[in-house]
Amino acid sequence: MSGVPATAARTPLSAAARLRKGKWYEQPRWRRLGALLALAVLMAQVTGEQGVRNDLFHALEQNFKGGGVGVWVGIAVAVWLIREFFDDAVARGVSRLRERAGGPARTVRATSGRLFGRRGYRWGALGALLLVLIVLPLTVTTFWQQVLVDQIGVYVMLAVGLNVVIGWAGMLDLGFIAFFAIGAYSSAYWTGGLPVEPPVELNNFLVIPVAVVTCLVAGVLLGAPTLRLRGDYLAIVTLGFHEIVYLVAKNYAEFTGGTRGANGLDRFSLDLGFWSYDWTLDPVPYYWIQLGFVVVIIVLFLRLEHSRVGRAWTAIREDEVAAAATGVNTVRFKLLAFAIGASTSGVAGVIYASKQAFVNPEQFVVLFSILALSYVVFGGMGSVPGVLVGTAFLVWLPQFLRDRVDPQDRYMYLGALLVIMMIYRPQGLLPSRRRQRELRMAGEGVSGADALGARPGGERG
Amino acid sequence: MTAKATTTDDDVLDASGVTLRFGGLTSLDDVALRMGRGEILAVIGPNGAGKTSLFNSLTGAYVPQEGTITFRSRTGGAHELRGRKPYRVSRLGVARTFQNIRLFGALTVLENVKIAAETRQRTDAISIMLGLPNARRDERAGDEKAHRVLSFVGLEERINELASSLSYGEQRRLEIARALATDPELLLLDEPAAGTNPTEKRDLEHLIRRINAELGVSVLLIEHDMKLVMSVADRVVVLNFGRKIAEGTPAQVQRDAAVIEAYLGASAEEDRAAVADMVAEQTDAGPSAGPSAGSPPEKSPEKEERP
Repeated sequence: MSGVPATAARTPLSAAARLRKGKWYEQPRWRRLGALLALAVLMAQVTGEQGVRNDLFHALEQNFKGGGVGVWVGIAVAVWLIREFFDDAVARGVSRLRERAGGPARTVRATSGRLFGRRGYRWGALGALLLVLIVLPLTVTTFWQQVLVDQIGVYVMLAVGLNVVIGWAGMLDLGFIAFFAIGAYSSAYWTGGLPVEPPVELNNFLVIPVAVVTCLVAGVLLGAPTLRLRGDYLAIVTLGFHEIVYLVAKNYAEFTGGTRGANGLDRFSLDLGFWSYDWTLDPVPYYWIQLGFVVVIIVLFLRLEHSRVGRAWTAIREDEVAAAATGVNTVRFKLLAFAIGASTSGVAGVIYASKQAFVNPEQFVVLFSILALSYVVFGGMGSVPGVLVGTAFLVWLPQFLRDRVDPQDRYMYLGALLVIMMIYRPQGLLPSRRRQRELRMAGEGVSGADALGARPGGERG
Repeated sequence: MTAKATTTDDDVLDASGVTLRFGGLTSLDDVALRMGRGEILAVIGPNGAGKTSLFNSLTGAYVPQEGTITFRSRTGGAHELRGRKPYRVSRLGVARTFQNIRLFGALTVLENVKIAAETRQRTDAISIMLGLPNARRDERAGDEKAHRVLSFVGLEERINELASSLSYGEQRRLEIARALATDPELLLLDEPAAGTNPTEKRDLEHLIRRINAELGVSVLLIEHDMKLVMSVADRVVVLNFGRKIAEGTPAQVQRDAAVIEAYLGASAEEDRAAVADMVAEQTDAGPSAGPSAGSPPEKSPEKEERP
């Protein structure tokens, strides 16, 4: 508010009165309005009609004429009004909300007491939720059934696994899809789908433990020499590992089928003698397999989180030096997290390959690693409910937008949502309590514990 | 300069010729250290003398280029600590605290100690995931042990509070509790009294004595607070510029000319009692006072306690 008497800046009336004076447009307030309006016009262009090659200015013109501009300008003016004249009220409201939601993070209620008091209620709610999830695919169209299985189911499983690596052990893994690929190709190999004959052909259900072991071994092989690295360095190493796996899948055609991959893979089938079932094109039975695995995995992982393993991971994430000095074998626990994440990814890969009935390298590009990572961060690193909800929501969103906006723009909205989320709610949708405290402490400068533990190690001598 | 060759089986720690270099900088130069079982030994010295480097070398955080560091456990085995990984050093029975408190701030007090109490447990991830009886037994054992240690240091009231929300003195005690939960035979305390108020200092002194007497833990202590050192330590080792310049009882060390020179940067021709007081004053003044900053001596109202 340069050059404006402090009292005059309070009401809209006096602001209007200042219009008479020279160079009103140079006042910060009006300049901010100008900037917002420019942004609104830009948004109208970005979200409006797509340009076509033979009539370059058609879309531009249409977007100016259409109602889109009006909506965006309206939003801009509203934002400006709120920001300029009701800022204090908004700030007060937000702080009141925040107090009510979070409160000062001083004490933690004893978890045992909390669980005990409301155990029946909790189990009831979880049972009802599970029931809803079981019948959910029967109530939607085939398109959404496909989305549920091919996208949401797969990514939820990946995200739950990745959460162990990133959220709990605090290691940034950008090559997570490599293990997914290993799982998928294991399925193709052991069911006899690849150019190479396996020693024995296995049912897909039997492939799952084999793939788990394969991914465990791959995870340990990658992890053992590299888990001394932290933060950014580990991220680059995992990225490199992904690239190796991807290029092997693409170029080692004698084994993997090269770029064309392998088609007509076996699907799941069950033969118990008295009763047998074959999974076919229908996505719903796959959904139930995925749901079953996700539920089992989550139960197992939650046990881990609240055990000595989970505590050791938290300790490593927060202060690796102190953890080691306390007797925690940091490399072993990091390796464990890495291997657990890898094997979860492998299971997802087996189910995916068998559902699709084909594999090819393009299903395993690095973009999917990044997407899985962003789902975990969006949902709330370290929080299983957060990861589940966040992943389901973010996978659902582009599909939901499919018919509502220009299809090419769908991921732009996803990107914008991520940007906004990271600015205003970096802890994620449903953050884990531990993580939230860490972020708050990092913000207050109390601790060096940042999201991914990349901080100068060592200490003063 | 040479290591004392007279080692007995009763020593808990015997280091000799420990030399640690960072590039051209020699942080520890041929340091020898012998520590009897059940002893409280204090390491003092001006800032940058290599005290924390010594701790880091003993606990595996740094690997000295030369020297041997032998730890003798109660069961009789002699273990070389040099080059051993920090977590292995901890499991042998050597625990430590840090100069700048390093707690797991987002975890509760209980969880902080539990992490340490559980490091020797053997249950694997699979039994934990399946909730097998041995996993549950270990969980309970860790819980009980953590409660025991926390009530020993007097934090049992605050077990469900976040470590970061404790007061400074309580955080120091929690760090000690975390170290004690690993069942150490030798406890290394790096400036445990730094930043604490007089009451907390008295409590700390009491706690160190109890750790030593009731738990039978040998204590190696870095401390700047001379009053605490003089009252609690059986023996004192003085480092300066990475070298050991003196060793002996607190009373002997206080009168040692080399020590006085190290702290004051002047030869000791003055009244010895005044200088001893100045040593206490100087070190209390905090990190900004270098060894050569010879401020005029103020008479301390407190008399030095002698053990």
